[in-house]
Amino acid sequence: MQAGNVAKLNEQLQSDPVLAPGHTYGSIEEKINTIPLPLTKRASKGWVLGFSIAFALLMLLFYSLGVLFARGLGVWGINNPVYWGFAIINFVWWIGIGHAGTLISAILLLMQQNWRNSINRLAEAMTLFAVACAGLMPIVHMGRPWLFYWLVPYPNTMAMWPQFRSPLAWDVFAVSTYATVSLLFWLIGLVPDFAKMRDRATDRTTKILFNILSLGWRNSSRHWHRYEMAYLLLAGLSTPLVLSVHSIISLDFSVSIVPGWHMTLFPPYFVAGAVFAGFAMVLTLVIPIRKFYKLEDFVTMKHIENCCKVMLATGMIVFYGYMMELFFGWYSAHDVEFFLINNRFFGPYAWAFWALMLCNGVAPQLMWFKPLRRNLPLVWILSLVVGVGMWLERFVIVVMSLHRDYLPTSWDAYTPTFWDISLYVGTFGLFFSLMFLFIRFLPMINIFEMQLLRHDQKHQVEGGFGASEEA
Amino acid sequence: MMKKQHKEQPSDVVSQLKRVQIPAIIVGVAGLGVWFLGAGSGTREQFFQTYLFAFLFWVGLPLGGLALLMLQYLTGGKWGFLIRRMLEAAAMTLPLMVLLFIPIITIGMLDLYPWADPAVVAHDTHLQFKYAYLNPGSFVFRAGFYFLIWLVWTFFLVKWGADQDRSGKPAITHRFRNLSGVGIVLYVITMTFAAFDWGMSLEPLWFSAIYGVIFIIGQGLATFAFIILMARLLADRKPFADFVSTKLYHDLGNLLLAFAILWTYMSLSQFLIIWSGNLPPETPWYIRRQAAGWNEVAVAVLVFQFVLPFFLLLNRFVKQKIQLLWKVALLIFIMRFVDLFWIIMPAFDQTVLEVHWTTYVAPIGVGGVWLFVFLEILKRRPILPLRDPIVPFPVSEGTKMQEVPGHG
Repeated sequence: MQAGNVAKLNEQLQSDPVLAPGHTYGSIEEKINTIPLPLTKRASKGWVLGFSIAFALLMLLFYSLGVLFARGLGVWGINNPVYWGFAIINFVWWIGIGHAGTLISAILLLMQQNWRNSINRLAEAMTLFAVACAGLMPIVHMGRPWLFYWLVPYPNTMAMWPQFRSPLAWDVFAVSTYATVSLLFWLIGLVPDFAKMRDRATDRTTKILFNILSLGWRNSSRHWHRYEMAYLLLAGLSTPLVLSVHSIISLDFSVSIVPGWHMTLFPPYFVAGAVFAGFAMVLTLVIPIRKFYKLEDFVTMKHIENCCKVMLATGMIVFYGYMMELFFGWYSAHDVEFFLINNRFFGPYAWAFWALMLCNGVAPQLMWFKPLRRNLPLVWILSLVVGVGMWLERFVIVVMSLHRDYLPTSWDAYTPTFWDISLYVGTFGLFFSLMFLFIRFLPMINIFEMQLLRHDQKHQVEGGFGASEEA
Repeated sequence: MMKKQHKEQPSDVVSQLKRVQIPAIIVGVAGLGVWFLGAGSGTREQFFQTYLFAFLFWVGLPLGGLALLMLQYLTGGKWGFLIRRMLEAAAMTLPLMVLLFIPIITIGMLDLYPWADPAVVAHDTHLQFKYAYLNPGSFVFRAGFYFLIWLVWTFFLVKWGADQDRSGKPAITHRFRNLSGVGIVLYVITMTFAAFDWGMSLEPLWFSAIYGVIFIIGQGLATFAFIILMARLLADRKPFADFVSTKLYHDLGNLLLAFAILWTYMSLSQFLIIWSGNLPPETPWYIRRQAAGWNEVAVAVLVFQFVLPFFLLLNRFVKQKIQLLWKVALLIFIMRFVDLFWIIMPAFDQTVLEVHWTTYVAPIGVGGVWLFVFLEILKRRPILPLRDPIVPFPVSEGTKMQEVPGHG
């Protein structure tokens, strides 16, 4: 009777389930496992086509890097005063995208949001691949990338240390920690599912491969206990990273006194922007994938709607940041700050500013309305719009602030070259190649967590007054 | 209508609330009296400065209550169900705050805000530039607008809460969510500018874009601390006692921890960026607040509002025991005073930490009166929502937690 009550309540509140009804433990495992297994099967035509495009772009990335290394940074459009061009824009953009994965896997876990369960692994994979794309950028921007290890503080015969007061040195720690913890989180979460893959595998090679990856997992209660503990600890460790990484990146800008960079709101505003872009990317990926692999039962409308809501909330915070920038451009009563605002409105790059307002300020407002949140084509297009908007935001911040600062004699315009653009497009090749390989060879949805949801559903604790974690 | 519900109210909670209410009003009236008489030994400026400090602290609880009320409707967290009436009661004290605000905008403005003085503005080109925003007329107009928004939202949230108690219609839950979604956006905007107007413009040449956010997070922190103290007060009183569990305390403890971390994060952001930029328009704010005595206050705020509570609240043991949790909450609540003291008071030409003794009495007086009104409102309504669909049964006196489905 109590179970009926909860179901009725959900119906009354018109909320979708996080797992469509009618699944058994077996059907869940079957459905998710048969996407990668058997590993030796022929990939579908759609996958081959998608991977081919991504791989071609990856080749473009390598070619662009080759040209860059052979001919130097001069192939890019950066100049004096715009020292930071596409490379930094792309760095901030990619690493921001990664943040949704960490938020979903760590913060939503700690907040006991069970809707995270079907999208967390995909989002974590997205984080890893995005960090890979991001990490590339500052390294190739160095001019002599083979000396990148000079950024690491180690005793050396030159008696040379990084400038510890510079956030650029903090970046090295922030990003490398972030990459390490994200990788660990993702791998540990995969262990029980690797074991399931091992048990399901029919051929010897697959069996051996997953046997190694599953680290001797035997489903014993002790294993589960330790797994839960490790996962929770990693979630605790990752949570500050969601804030710290992008905060430090925002400090790269805001500790300087460049107008448009030096603003005390930058850290939280950058973090919100990162989560905003990240959730947009999750939607960009998840909507086609769930359709293509018929995963609508696992990634339900509830997931889509919740992602939209997070996007709306973080989008509003980002918009708040824009409004504060404009307000303080005026309120500071500082002529350079005031000029910057003027330059944003009417300067040579005003188009980028207005496009940004449209993409990140106006477009997300559609997410206020439930019917629009449930309109998949619209949501997908909107997720792309937000992705573009967040890129424009970094363009506005980096280029618009640098190209005209205090000294009018050193003003100069910035125009990206072909190699700027090809490198950026090439990182999509890296990102999507890895993504396609991940989808093809690993379970993209966490099998046992879905089975746990099924358990909760069966015993009807979801949505009830006592929380499901007690079940 | 309120009278009728009063009858359904079990006496246990009410008697407990009454026990606090009487001392509250005595302390309040006595505090205000002492402050009023004591102010005679100080200057007119000091009189209003201490008053503004007291007002800015206590206005944080109704506003924090309103914001958290909307937040719990939006996130649907189960912690919200048990503390909802307290948040509502806090928000419903807003009319009192309007009343308390009137002295500031009528007789006190000239003594508090340099930009309100035409003689000062005449000699400062920056203030002339800012005059479009910083002038008495628009200051009052904006304050009216902020209060209007807050009052309208409080009115509907409370009214629909009463509707839900009567009918229990799930459609009301939807209305709550929609209203709260819009409301939280408006709250953040209005509170940001209220913080700029009431606090930041005390030093009208200084600016920091994160100032409003620091205020908002501070209000949330103070409100959570206050709610935990209230939960301690009612922990073993029926019907509240039948519903609270270690789970609630754990959730509240976590939220308190989260807000303490956020407060530190925002404050550190502001400090680091201003320190690093080292620009003449920005650094004076911190220089004033690092002068003799003030620096020690800053360190105390950092240690007792963040470092110590952080390590205490990491422990499940502390969070799940209200007997321990309330002590941490009390520490944070007191440190909220100190923090605001450090933010506001150095604005008034302080070279060393030297404030009039009435500074410490004014917030106690205002607080006593506020607490009395808050408890009066809380007392008149059922302490828990009666028919929220989140709880699939009507709440009444006899219901025990053990009977709640899914709760083991």
